[in-house]
Amino acid sequence: MRLRAKISIILASAALVVTLWSGTAWAIRPDEILADPKLEHRARAIGTELRCLVCQNESIDDSNADLAHDLRVLVRQRLVAGDSDEQVKQYIVARYGNYVLLKPPFMAETYLLWFGPALLLLCAAGVAAIYIRRVSQTAQTAPLTDDESRRLSALLGDAGRKKEDS
Amino acid sequence: MIAEIGLFALILALLVAAVQASIPLIGAARGDAVWMSLDRPSAFTQFCLVAISFGCLMWAHVTSDFSVLNVVQSSHTDKPLLYKITGVWANHEGSMMLWTLILVLYGLAVSIFGRDLPPALRARALAIQGMIGFGFILFILLTSNPFLRVDPAPVNGDGLNPLLQDPGLAFHPPFLYLGYVGFSMAFSFAIAALIEGRVDAAWARWVRPWTLVAWCALTLGVAMGSWWSYYTLGWGGYWAWDPVENASLMPWLAGTALLHSSIVAEKRDTLKSWTIFLAIVTFSLSLLGTFLVRSGVLTSVHSFANDPKRGLFILLLLGIVTGGSLILYAIRAPALKGGGLFAMVSREGGLLFNNIVLSTAAGTVLLGTLYPLFVDALNLGKVSVGPPYFNIVMVPLMLPMIALMAIGPLLAWKRGDLPHALSRLKFAGAATALTVVATLLAAGISTRSLLAGIGLGLGVWLFFGSLTEWAGRVHLFRHSLADSLHRAWHLPRSAYGMTLGHMGLAFVLIGVAGSQAWRTEYLEVMQPGDTATVAGYQVKFLGVEENIVGPNYISARGNFIATRNGRLVADLTPERRMYANPQQPLSTVAIYTNLVSDLYVVLGDPAGHGGSVVHIFHNPLVPWLFFGALVMVLGGIVSLTDRHHRIGAPRRRIDVRPVMRAPAAVATAPVGAAVAAKPRYNWVTVVPLAGFIILAGFLVWRLYLVELGFAPNLIPSVMINRPAPTFDLPALADGLPGIKTAELQGKVTLVNFFASWCIPCREEHPALPLVTQAGIRLVGISYKDRPQDAKAWLDQLGNPYKAIGVDLYGHAGLDFGVYGVPESYLIDKHGVIRRKWTGPLTPDLIRDEVVPLAEKLAR
Repeated sequence: MRLRAKISIILASAALVVTLWSGTAWAIRPDEILADPKLEHRARAIGTELRCLVCQNESIDDSNADLAHDLRVLVRQRLVAGDSDEQVKQYIVARYGNYVLLKPPFMAETYLLWFGPALLLLCAAGVAAIYIRRVSQTAQTAPLTDDESRRLSALLGDAGRKKEDS
Repeated sequence: MIAEIGLFALILALLVAAVQASIPLIGAARGDAVWMSLDRPSAFTQFCLVAISFGCLMWAHVTSDFSVLNVVQSSHTDKPLLYKITGVWANHEGSMMLWTLILVLYGLAVSIFGRDLPPALRARALAIQGMIGFGFILFILLTSNPFLRVDPAPVNGDGLNPLLQDPGLAFHPPFLYLGYVGFSMAFSFAIAALIEGRVDAAWARWVRPWTLVAWCALTLGVAMGSWWSYYTLGWGGYWAWDPVENASLMPWLAGTALLHSSIVAEKRDTLKSWTIFLAIVTFSLSLLGTFLVRSGVLTSVHSFANDPKRGLFILLLLGIVTGGSLILYAIRAPALKGGGLFAMVSREGGLLFNNIVLSTAAGTVLLGTLYPLFVDALNLGKVSVGPPYFNIVMVPLMLPMIALMAIGPLLAWKRGDLPHALSRLKFAGAATALTVVATLLAAGISTRSLLAGIGLGLGVWLFFGSLTEWAGRVHLFRHSLADSLHRAWHLPRSAYGMTLGHMGLAFVLIGVAGSQAWRTEYLEVMQPGDTATVAGYQVKFLGVEENIVGPNYISARGNFIATRNGRLVADLTPERRMYANPQQPLSTVAIYTNLVSDLYVVLGDPAGHGGSVVHIFHNPLVPWLFFGALVMVLGGIVSLTDRHHRIGAPRRRIDVRPVMRAPAAVATAPVGAAVAAKPRYNWVTVVPLAGFIILAGFLVWRLYLVELGFAPNLIPSVMINRPAPTFDLPALADGLPGIKTAELQGKVTLVNFFASWCIPCREEHPALPLVTQAGIRLVGISYKDRPQDAKAWLDQLGNPYKAIGVDLYGHAGLDFGVYGVPESYLIDKHGVIRRKWTGPLTPDLIRDEVVPLAEKLAR
């Protein structure tokens, strides 16, 4: 187990090195481009949503790995064959799993991911609301002393309101 | 000798850090002025020692001392001097040295600028800084010593990745670290304040400029990283939502929130507990970023050589720093009482809203970045969270905030007048509506142009909103122009800082919206003399000049001329470079900018007869994005020069109101004991601690897996327990049968994908006969290999396969879900895939896994 895993790490790091070393990896090659601009446009849109499996967090559109090339060609073949965008993605998911989708599907495992931001927002807003309420409550519980009331009426009486700076 | 001096100085610095971390703290707790006064000298000494150490490392790099391992690994004599210097931090060890140097630099800054600070506060803050310094120096000494020697010393070094030999990336880390580490100031003072149990305006006033320094540096650092990625990587983009990028974005978002809440804390003496919390979170996120980049728990395009041991150490540091401070926070924060009262619609309310959104955004980035780990940890399979996710969730989050950014500054403190503020924004509103309509008219009605219109419109809204706020302050058009000029001259610089900062963001937004919506792209094989038409430009390819000799590379330079309406616009010369040490190719991009849009030309692979693959992008409004980032930084700097930051360190007023419920206790007891008198707990302040413990648990688990050797990027197959895909592959050579799906029936079969070009396959090959010897049918699929090569390979090494199919284009491989050869699939009698092995099979694996499972399936 250990040895295999080590080798996989070596493989993975080799893949990393390849991605870094190839540097300017404009991935798509001219010979891949479809003649029909509409289909090509759809292919590009799909390509940015599919993960290159041997790379580190790159879409197949951004990667110059060989497998990414194969997948780009496959996407175009499916489109030419008349598949819808969704069908093309499903075709690849059927072989490589949900892992290839850079936009994870909405399912039980990803509820937290998709609802998370809204939950965070609600929590943050809730804490803020509690805070504001508490501040105003504590403020209300302290009535003015006689001395303060007298000073207040004196101030309001003569000078008017002085504008708060900045 | 120099390297030993460096190491020795670093060890001494560790000892001094230990002194700085303990003596002043004890002094402050006991009210002992002498012990407390040790804080400044020790910060000074620590800085000198780390600087000496760093200088020694730099010396070793500049003189190419190849007896030092670190220099060998990242330098070469042919490297230009600039990159010998910046090469110091272009590797893990050196970058940690830079991290530490910047940390002690901030410590030095406290000791210089903080002379007038209350001694106990300063002593405690510097002690916290000392603790962080101690942790990081210990980390360097134990796991990442940059002064290790090699004997015998090699004649020359391995050289530096050419991607890093670039001015943009050379100075990106120092600014990034100035930002990350700069937040340690706010953090240390937050902890000091928690220990003291006292947060007042004087505290906020000290923390705010340092937060501003850190924020400016981080903004610049992130922008530089993005710019570098834009102009060197040749992909035409500037942000990829990669985990490493996210690691720098999270502290930026939290730091921006901190910057704004510290304004409220300073001016209105409220939101204090929240500000303290943000200070802790921001610095913790900086540490988390450091951890993620170096530990190997996440896969990313650009990270350091990963090492789980280093990861464990940083995680331990993170646990102590964040866990410790959150415990302290949970205990002490309830005692920090909110100050001024304010209505929902008020300046405070606006800033609070900004904080809610920014912290949600930071939390969202954290969630998206770490979610794949959580799912994996709970054994729910593997998911990827990429750019599409972040775009979907971040846009709706940020847009309302930007909309309100124009209104917030128009509201008065305490209680604002919303209708009045909105009526002042009439002009901005009209300009926004005009922008949206003009965009839709010009670009046609589609989702894309609607999104672009909203983005541009909001940018315009924010720009004119900020301008309106400024105009209101200087009474523009209300009295004489002279009066306005006079007011403009005397307006506080922090006001200009805000205006510039917000306008900068408006530019960034316009840049993002424009480039996302209207980027055009051209990709063709061009022959000399060919002309490409891209977004109204005619780009003519003149040819490639070969063998141009650079300092440490040889380059092929493409010559292009861009014309527009028959007029010459620019000569563009992108290059294809081959660096000598290490031998690595690199393309440089040629960019022509007219400050509104960029024409971006990349020279691809040669295509015969002097032709070349050429990739041209037209990126509208991208220059605005980087310009906007610079304006934001400028705003920060202008704000920093504000008079009230310059008039020396803040002093505490004598009549400072203790935030404790028991003022008498504060007045009489020694300062440290002040709060302990009356602890009150509040569930809200315990939540972050609980969240952190869960997070840390996941990270520990992940590290443990990496340490055990489970590669994080091993992808489980979805083909398990499904029938093998349909294929019919021709034979490799006469006398050897091919293979098709139907033939898999009836007998347990191992299908092995191999290729002669695959190096691990060569390693696997000798073990394969063990499969056949165990009575398992072994079938090979020659994956994307020329048949003659595959045949020669088998002739040379022997053929263990019963049958071999040729999968010339990898179609069968795609159907199986192959992503890296060698891969092996065990298929049962009914033709169903039962197990998959990625990577070479070893004799152990065959004996322990393949054969037992095959025997079970055969029964």
